[in-house]
Amino acid sequence: MKTQEFNWVEVLRSPNREEQAEAMNLLRAHLLKGLSIALGDRADVSEAHLEDFAQDGLLRILDKLDQFQGRSLFTTWAQSVALNSAFAELRRKRWGDVSLDALMEQGDHLAEASTFPDDSLGSQEEQSHIVSAMRKAIAQELTPKQRAAILAELGGMPFDQVCSLLGTNRTAGYKLLHDARRSLKRHLEEAGITGYDIQLAFTI
Amino acid sequence: MTTKAQPLTPSQVAEFLRQVALTRDQEADCGACLENIAEFAEKKLSGAELGSALLSIEHHLSLCPECTEEYQALKRILQSNRQGE
Repeated sequence: MKTQEFNWVEVLRSPNREEQAEAMNLLRAHLLKGLSIALGDRADVSEAHLEDFAQDGLLRILDKLDQFQGRSLFTTWAQSVALNSAFAELRRKRWGDVSLDALMEQGDHLAEASTFPDDSLGSQEEQSHIVSAMRKAIAQELTPKQRAAILAELGGMPFDQVCSLLGTNRTAGYKLLHDARRSLKRHLEEAGITGYDIQLAFTI
Repeated sequence: MTTKAQPLTPSQVAEFLRQVALTRDQEADCGACLENIAEFAEKKLSGAELGSALLSIEHHLSLCPECTEEYQALKRILQSNRQGE
């Protein structure tokens, strides 16, 4: 049977244990196939990892079944949930243990020229002016948590880990960063520098 | 003992400036992105028009490397499935 012909939500909730188990096996196999396509060529992912990701993804899907709204195929939605779960695990493994103290201390240096040099992207007057104004905005507008989160994220730390270290969840963590970017943008606009000016000066 | 931060690389500075330049007052967060990414991926692949909710997901993807990594992986799976049909 083609996976798209199933009414997945119904059979995954079926009181008929045999029917439910069959659907779960079929979905697990479908997830495994997708995860193999997406992650199979990575050096840090083995067959055993893929099996684990498929199983963890399946459990997460069953947990979130109420959230499927039918705006895509069920199988596409299920793959997105399984991928999210697998990538979270891979990112967590890739990054070593970092303490909150170290994170906050590093963040304290974000506004310094030694961390954020004037000539980072070019030495033209307009470019140096923007970077210098950005440093001033970072120093004046951002909280220590915001500076730490920005520096950690730019350094490649998984966002889940940044949030966990700061004692917050992903939604509140995103708001922390969004509020920081908005404050910086507003500060720069007050200094006569628009988003368009930044894109133009650095061709980004 | 203090831990001195490493200087940001040019690509990190460029990414940061780009993110600030693209910032909007209202943005979809990672949770909203995960809720909508399946529909977004299917519509992008079929070339269908995106409504305002999905355009906000497209904007989020331009700012969030982790959600972009997951979207690219999902796109790869859908493209492979489509070729296998």
